[in-house]
Amino acid sequence: MTKHELIAPAGTKDLYLPVMAEITDVRQMTPLEKLFEIRLPGGVDLGHRPGQFVEVSLFGVGEAPISISSSPTKKGAFDLGIRKVGMLTEMIHRMQPGERIGIRGPFGSGFDMTKFKGKDVLVIAGGIGLVPLRSLINYVLDNRADFGRLVICYGSKSDTDLLFEDERRAWEQDPRVEFHLTVDHGSPAWSGRTGVITTLIPGLDLDLPNTLACVCGPPIMYRFVLLALKSKRLPEENIYMSLERRMKCGVGKCGHCQINGSYVCQDGPVYHYPDIKALREAL
Amino acid sequence: MARFYLEKGKVAAFIAHLQSQKTVYAPHRKGRNAFAFAPVERPQDVVLDYPRTVSSIKKYFLPPREELLSFNLAENTCAQPAVAPLDAVFLGVHSYDVHAVLKLDHNFVTGNPERNYLTRRQGALIVGVGFTPDRFHFSGSVGIPAGDTTGCDLFLHPCEGGYALEVLTPAGEKLVAGFKLPAHTSGLPAAAPFQQHIYVPQAKLKDVFAHNYDNAVWEEEAEKCMSCGTCNLVCPTCYCFDVEDAVDITVTRGSRERRWDGCMLRSFTEVAGGEVFREEPAARQRHRVYRKFKYISDETGEPWCVGCGRCTASCTADISIVSIVNRLVNDYDAVKA
Repeated sequence: MTKHELIAPAGTKDLYLPVMAEITDVRQMTPLEKLFEIRLPGGVDLGHRPGQFVEVSLFGVGEAPISISSSPTKKGAFDLGIRKVGMLTEMIHRMQPGERIGIRGPFGSGFDMTKFKGKDVLVIAGGIGLVPLRSLINYVLDNRADFGRLVICYGSKSDTDLLFEDERRAWEQDPRVEFHLTVDHGSPAWSGRTGVITTLIPGLDLDLPNTLACVCGPPIMYRFVLLALKSKRLPEENIYMSLERRMKCGVGKCGHCQINGSYVCQDGPVYHYPDIKALREAL
Repeated sequence: MARFYLEKGKVAAFIAHLQSQKTVYAPHRKGRNAFAFAPVERPQDVVLDYPRTVSSIKKYFLPPREELLSFNLAENTCAQPAVAPLDAVFLGVHSYDVHAVLKLDHNFVTGNPERNYLTRRQGALIVGVGFTPDRFHFSGSVGIPAGDTTGCDLFLHPCEGGYALEVLTPAGEKLVAGFKLPAHTSGLPAAAPFQQHIYVPQAKLKDVFAHNYDNAVWEEEAEKCMSCGTCNLVCPTCYCFDVEDAVDITVTRGSRERRWDGCMLRSFTEVAGGEVFREEPAARQRHRVYRKFKYISDETGEPWCVGCGRCTASCTADISIVSIVNRLVNDYDAVKA
């Protein structure tokens, strides 16, 4: 066993100490999801990549990993889309602009946007999977000339839980975006497309070798999307996936987020598909 | 470096000599047949000839419960409690437990170095001791003979009438200084043999684990497993933890606490919304064993199991990690033959 130098190296970070940040805006998106705008002290940028996450904490309640929903091109503040699913998120949902929460991060790999330069970008978002992928979508829109087509496929359980209504309407109108929307079950008022997200894929006209797909959604969705992309003959090396796990510490120590030997908080949550194909626990 | 003869009758005086310099932690008898590391109060209570302690000395560097932050809820602020170096001597540590500490060092130094662990660990001196393997020890199979001195400052080799005290580092030399001992001139007795073995060279384990992900043994062992997590709890190289917040009765103060956690527990991979990524006990059992023999080992080139036998000795369902690994080896050989 190699012996390690046991002195904490100079510049060793306080791994578990959050920075106090201010909530500057709260928007109700659906009955379950709110979008929070967060400002770090002094308005400094978070310095994240699309696809990364932060650990959000409320003292005395707890801490949880939340994906960053805004593009790094947004300056002075960042967005977190938060679904109310447990005690912590329920408490966060009660918070108002001006209140402060703890932030650690950004953590994880995120999308390496240099690899996307000049490529067509295909976004496949299921449900709340749109929240992290919005960071990528807005990055592409804010650097539009650097990328080819932007094709967004968004699937939701129903038309009553669709996210980012204003932006969605803008994407529908924007000639720079090809936006496809489907819901599993529409309400009587729904006039749009009905069907699961995979029904959007066969009809897409893609320049396959030049298209990079970015997939995020509920666990059940991935294998069906992979099948659909496979029958579309999209090369495997053109697929990126963002996976959900319980990233408790965010710094590669606590073990909760592991997929086989890979720490999602370090190597993920965005993975290049060929890199995780051999990880049997991935899906 | 030097080697001295420490006769049995002088052991207590030697411990007192160590106590005059630093806090000394050593194995003590707890109950009828259990042993635990504890701070030494009376040298004569120290037990140097013991099979294994319930927990390793890991508990001093990575405490079972540890406050990471303290909160002032009225002001919505937090602070990090100061972590003090231990400046202590760990006396009577078996070779496998010393190796386990070196492995934890690796886990807490590489990637993101963790100050809490490193601060506690850096001043710790270790006095190893030889032992007679019982039916659970198998550290010899993972490259750690019973008399291995790696990572120790001093080592007590059991010999006729007492111990051969081997000095291994300048810090160890300083510990002994001032305590008069005769030189030990005869050869060191051979370390005691192991009763339990993994029947494969370490180098081959990589292939064995690469080919046994779907082995039936995972399901078979999971049939017996009660997912109690005891194997994680007693493992000297397990370091996974959970983090939880708590508030005091005034609801003005609180803390964020880290606690040992275990991958054998169903809740370990549960995410918000209720999805559990290793739902089946078989998947959890496999994960535990792969963590010890593949995932970290593929990077470091050595098993992350130190062969202490604790998980097997403490298992409430008689699941043996040695039997599992030997089964994987046999099945691998049968397929390759």
